[in-house]
Amino acid sequence: MMNKVLGIVNLHDSPSLGVLTARRPLGVTSFLGRYGLMDFTLSNYSNSGIDRVIVLAEREAHSVRSHLGDGQVWVRNTKLGFQRIYKNESLLPSSKFNTDIANLKSNSNTIGEIPFEYVVIAPSFFIMSYDYNELIQSHIESGADVTVLTKRVPGSNKDFLNADVAEVEEEGKVSRFFTNTGRRKEVDISLESFVFTRSAFERMIKESGEVSLLYSIRRMVAYYAENHLMDVRALPFDGYVVPILSLNLYVKHSFDLLQYSSRLKIFKDEWPIYTTTHNTPPALYGERAIVSNSFIANGSIIKGRVKNSIISRDVIVEEGAVVEDSIIFTQTEIGKDIKLRYVLADKHVKFVEQKKVNGEKDEILYIEQGVRV
Amino acid sequence: MSTKVVAMILAGGKGTRLESLTKKIAKPAVSFAAKYHIIDFPLSNCANSGINTIGVLTQYESTFLDTYLGSGEKWGMNGVHSVLTSLAPRQTEEGAQWYKGTADAIAQNIDFLDDLDPEYVLILSGDHIYKTLYNEMIDLHQQTGADATISVIEVDPKEASRFGIMAVNAKDIIVEFQEKPKKPKSNLASMGIYVFTWKTLRKYLKDDMKDEESEHDFGKNIIPNMLNSGKKLQAYRFKGYWRDVGTLSSLHQANMDIIEADEMNLFDNDVSTRIYTEDTYSVPQYVGPVGYISHSIANQGAIILGHVTSCVVSNEAIIAENAVCTNCVIMEGAYIKRGARVHNAIIAPYTVIEEKEEINVDGDDIVLVSRRVK
Repeated sequence: MMNKVLGIVNLHDSPSLGVLTARRPLGVTSFLGRYGLMDFTLSNYSNSGIDRVIVLAEREAHSVRSHLGDGQVWVRNTKLGFQRIYKNESLLPSSKFNTDIANLKSNSNTIGEIPFEYVVIAPSFFIMSYDYNELIQSHIESGADVTVLTKRVPGSNKDFLNADVAEVEEEGKVSRFFTNTGRRKEVDISLESFVFTRSAFERMIKESGEVSLLYSIRRMVAYYAENHLMDVRALPFDGYVVPILSLNLYVKHSFDLLQYSSRLKIFKDEWPIYTTTHNTPPALYGERAIVSNSFIANGSIIKGRVKNSIISRDVIVEEGAVVEDSIIFTQTEIGKDIKLRYVLADKHVKFVEQKKVNGEKDEILYIEQGVRV
Repeated sequence: MSTKVVAMILAGGKGTRLESLTKKIAKPAVSFAAKYHIIDFPLSNCANSGINTIGVLTQYESTFLDTYLGSGEKWGMNGVHSVLTSLAPRQTEEGAQWYKGTADAIAQNIDFLDDLDPEYVLILSGDHIYKTLYNEMIDLHQQTGADATISVIEVDPKEASRFGIMAVNAKDIIVEFQEKPKKPKSNLASMGIYVFTWKTLRKYLKDDMKDEESEHDFGKNIIPNMLNSGKKLQAYRFKGYWRDVGTLSSLHQANMDIIEADEMNLFDNDVSTRIYTEDTYSVPQYVGPVGYISHSIANQGAIILGHVTSCVVSNEAIIAENAVCTNCVIMEGAYIKRGARVHNAIIAPYTVIEEKEEINVDGDDIVLVSRRVK
């Protein structure tokens, strides 16, 4: 069945993580010291047996390319399966017309050549371990044009504020989408994973120009639902979802996943999360290293203290240095006797001069890529 | 197609001195330094030396090794200019035979080498830990016009009688070879790394196959035969770290050497001698709230909730709360349960150490614990 399915990872229409995504797409933003956020979506496809995958890059396609890597083909058969990156060559990255649908439209000839009956489109900012066979099966059984995966949460759950909500009627039919303002007791959050029947998918690309050149896939689905022009249904998901909808949520959930109980809900033995290889050696701990409640990625050298923190690849924590409640991206160095607390350091930062660098519990201090502090 | 240098890696030995570590896998496939397998070292050395045509001679328990070699992509050898293949003994028109010795393993693959038509053949061992570029040795072989060049390392004169010893003249030309001599004439030990001019080696292999007295071994037969018939054998003095990890204690010590990151440094970010290996799709490495790890290395997927000092911790290994591990090599998937105490040990892959179990707590010698359930 899965050879009838095309998977799309949608890097357009993603929330801003502020400074973190100023110069990189959310999908390749580092997570837990080891992953790019889109690894979870790609792994869900791979583990679901979806072998043909297109990544729609809105901008910085080179960083998407380098994260996917040449040899990192997570498919069952490399002749039959593929991972491609599509971008819209004709539109400026900053243009408001550079939508996911415009990207699909500009690549519609090559998509047209791919044999598939259903297409799954998913974003990279809802992290979960999910078998898409369930969504596709439900879609086929209901005979809908589009089926969206939803998650029921209490309105009071601030993690999902401002996310799209599906108004779900009888038989799972969706009558409209609206923004979650947190006023309702319970809401069905749209996880923005859509499965389309091919004809509905092609119709959406074709009609989008007539409806609005500014509309994204999400907006078009809402338009079809509200105007009863397509049969749009919802399928509830009762598993664990980590929403990365803002910098605050990114930080909050990074630290939350340090807890074993949270981690178990995402990382499952039978559901590996794939990521690109960097040929780094194991992590090295010096004689005076003291480490607790932290993720330590390969290639890092820890000689000082690390507590409640996430240390990425090739990070150096020198003797006497203390890293607490912080997230450190790859190849950053924390010099001798330097103390960090509540710091989010991007790649290639050198902490050498200032002896103490502190953010606050509720407002992590961001240090830009490549600077000397 | 002509390829100037073809490397042949001897990886067929059982490695009986590693006891049950090699019960189901060949010695070159044994885990090393938390993330690697021993054969990653010669394979990466080849990749870094620009040698992309490699035959791996397998015999004993080759399934895991064959699967591990895969398409060669782990060492970048899956491109159109690369050949990486395992060569196990096989049935031919002449019948079916196991490899009877190191030289016979190559001799039975003369057709493979003839097809590649190399000028030189580099013979390597699949169970040595070292980082090197072979280019200097190959250059020396070319410049001196030798028939064979043998990599040698200076050993402690007191230890010399354990090795194959090369006596050399002022130009480092080998004048005598002594296999484990009582009275060694030098302290230059053969490392089992050879460069041969293929045409010459081919002739000696053919002759050796016909010799019923021969043990079909490079050290015992081919090298002495070449010396006796006046061929030019050059010694290449290897500088740096090199270990044969044939015993439990040498395997343990070589693992500990990686933690020191001194003579053998995997953390120097030197891309010209980087060791490539498999990257497992493991969860991030985690150290728990009351976990403790120092003077150690650990791979992704390791979960450290207990106390770890001077250890090598592989992927998916779990050290539970209140477990104490000191001076141990903990291989992939091993599970050290709560309150266990383990000292001076090699814990084989997927071995479970039970709650509060004590292993070798006061022992000075290295012990192996192998309870492979998987």
